[in-house]
Amino acid sequence: MSRRSLGIAGFALAAVAVFLLPRFISDFRAQQFAYVGIYFIALLGLNLLTGITGQISLGHGAFMLIGGYTTAILISNQDPPLELAGHLFTNDMTDYWTIPIAGLVAGLAGFLFGFPALRLTGLYLALATFAVAVAAPAVVKKFDTFTGGGGGINLFDVEGRTGRSVTDPATFESTEGADVFGLHVASFNEWLYYLCWTVALVMFAAAWLLLRGRFGRSLRAVRDSELAAASSGVNLARYKTLAFGISAFYAGVAGSLLAIATTFVNPDTFPITLSIFLLVGVVVGGLGSLWPLVFGAIFIHFMQIEWAQRAEAVIPNFIPILGDIDTDLPGAPAVAFGVILILIMLAFPGGAAGLLRSLQSLAARGYGRVR
Amino acid sequence: MRRPQLALALLALAAAVATGATASSGAEPGLTANTILLGGTSPLTGPASAYASVARGANAYFQYVNARGGVNGRTIVYKIVDDAYNPAQTVQATTQLVEQDTVFAIFNGLGTAQNEAIRPYLNQNKVPQLFVASGATTFGRDYRQYPWTIGFQPSYQAEGWIYGTYLARTKPGAKIAVLFQNDDYGKDLLAGLRRGIARSKVKLVAAQPYEVTASDVQSQIVALKGSGADVLALFATPKFAIQGYAFAGRVGWRPLIINNAVSNASNIMTAASEGGSTKTVENSISIAYLKDPTDATWRDDAAVRLYRTIMARYAKGANVKDVYHVYGMAVAYETVRLLKAAGKNLTRAGVMLQTRKLNDPANPFLLPGISIRTSATERFPVEQVLLQRWSKGSWKTFGGLWGYRAG
Repeated sequence: MSRRSLGIAGFALAAVAVFLLPRFISDFRAQQFAYVGIYFIALLGLNLLTGITGQISLGHGAFMLIGGYTTAILISNQDPPLELAGHLFTNDMTDYWTIPIAGLVAGLAGFLFGFPALRLTGLYLALATFAVAVAAPAVVKKFDTFTGGGGGINLFDVEGRTGRSVTDPATFESTEGADVFGLHVASFNEWLYYLCWTVALVMFAAAWLLLRGRFGRSLRAVRDSELAAASSGVNLARYKTLAFGISAFYAGVAGSLLAIATTFVNPDTFPITLSIFLLVGVVVGGLGSLWPLVFGAIFIHFMQIEWAQRAEAVIPNFIPILGDIDTDLPGAPAVAFGVILILIMLAFPGGAAGLLRSLQSLAARGYGRVR
Repeated sequence: MRRPQLALALLALAAAVATGATASSGAEPGLTANTILLGGTSPLTGPASAYASVARGANAYFQYVNARGGVNGRTIVYKIVDDAYNPAQTVQATTQLVEQDTVFAIFNGLGTAQNEAIRPYLNQNKVPQLFVASGATTFGRDYRQYPWTIGFQPSYQAEGWIYGTYLARTKPGAKIAVLFQNDDYGKDLLAGLRRGIARSKVKLVAAQPYEVTASDVQSQIVALKGSGADVLALFATPKFAIQGYAFAGRVGWRPLIINNAVSNASNIMTAASEGGSTKTVENSISIAYLKDPTDATWRDDAAVRLYRTIMARYAKGANVKDVYHVYGMAVAYETVRLLKAAGKNLTRAGVMLQTRKLNDPANPFLLPGISIRTSATERFPVEQVLLQRWSKGSWKTFGGLWGYRAG
């Protein structure tokens, strides 16, 4: 089989696995894996920019924020309704229809940010993008009539337009469920899972198609040597700004899904740590890889939620060099997390993708010897 | 051979998590014959991790109660989940507690936006949201819309009103400058202060907001000094309150400083005085409703002695001077009392019914004289406070009880 048909077969298998997974796990776990899907989308986008094109971004949380707020504002009924240029917006869209709009708005913001970013490289670009992540929550608070300010926008009580209307997830009262894109789902968690992973698979396929041809080669050329790329006829400005735009589109879609999943947005839901976690996720998954980013997504989701409460048990038992840390001190789990991250980077600099590659070559060598 | 690994990996993943399914019994969620499961979020990490002490203090008290037989024969299991002070994580952690761990009630989750984010979800699912750790007025005021939610501490509006009224009575002609956090918490305090000084000779001459994400408040303090005020109100969280003191001292400004309860823990005041080396903190005014373990008045008080014993036994290594631990114990004490009152046949609805008739004349961890009372139309448990003044390294309360009926 050619590599391409193998790829298609692998994708089909993955789609089936994703489709069947909720049958094997609890309703609540389905929700957790929905979040993994959301992070996977964001990582695909950041990886396209950082891993493929070589432009570092510490500010992708800001693009998620733009996506999340776009969705929240489009769903929620503003009172009084928003009036722009004489046109009255009633803001009562159904949540999933706002996803592409959120992506486009964030994508446009990313594309525009790409222009000033052209002048910056390396550390300076990292700092500039970091500044965007720091400033975004303050900007949201500035326009509080529009964004709800620090109190944010609560989408839970919005009747009939969010996934929460599917059913009561804890008690399964009113389990008539709902049909979404022709698929019958029984609970909010299941609905969320299928929504996130449908979008994730589409975005994954799009990234794969985008990167396998001429466009992907050009982006990689920009990363490896700007001089060589330019002299081969690659328009640096065009490719860099496009990479920023597409990458922000992915982040916007992820932010939109995050707003739908948590049914709440406020400036604190897109903190600076989110941007940093995204970069961590890309590195753990493997810079420049595609599907191994799933491992990065799993890592950042479960680390964020589970780490602090498990640190107390994990640190003394499994990580002897950190045994002296007093886990009750505020900040101790964060410090331990940082150390673990450094250890992971030292041991597996290529992330999950690199680890898989070395396992593969090890296996290949083993085969060779047996024969 | 590259892509099929993806499928294999995902299938392996499916197998690995398939064991994670949970079963819940038909009876009231979170209860067994001998346990009650409570859950709550706390910022164990992130910008507000200083508040993690609240949950630690509460947990220590529950363990103490458990060691003495628990509540009506049941021991309390309190599961604390980190939310890093991020409401999106509060939502995820709370759904985990409700749907995966099936807790009986959400207890003392911390933060205003954090609790607002989960309130409709908990109310829709009829899960009690007990004693919210936030002074936002909405948690006591909006009980008709959210009958499954109840707060605990004095509301921020009440606190602001008390400062305003105190100044109107004792410092007529005072000019107030306010540093406030640009969210509901800061604005509630400011609104209360405005109400307190209404129709008096006291004037609000300047108010400067700051963002939680700000790095410092130097420019705000300089602007406030420029207003010519002789009273500075710090409606700010600990980091910014400390900066407020430090910058005021550095620019040579010596107003009377009012510091809100959110940032009045003794260790914070000590930090603000840069280890006792500066005098800016002297004579600061704040409210108090908890027994401060560093206050010499309570050295031989039975409740504070009990507090120290419990901390030594169930929270080894924690800072005993941290008043947030006392807060946690005060809430835990009230919860134990509530669960006892709800009887042996505990139900979620039964507990909520009891929250409407709290009547505790003397929670031992609160200052003497402060009573906890609620009714069908009055859902603010703690509404009485004392004023206190910072002098030579500790708080001293003065005057009589202040009460506030929320309107």
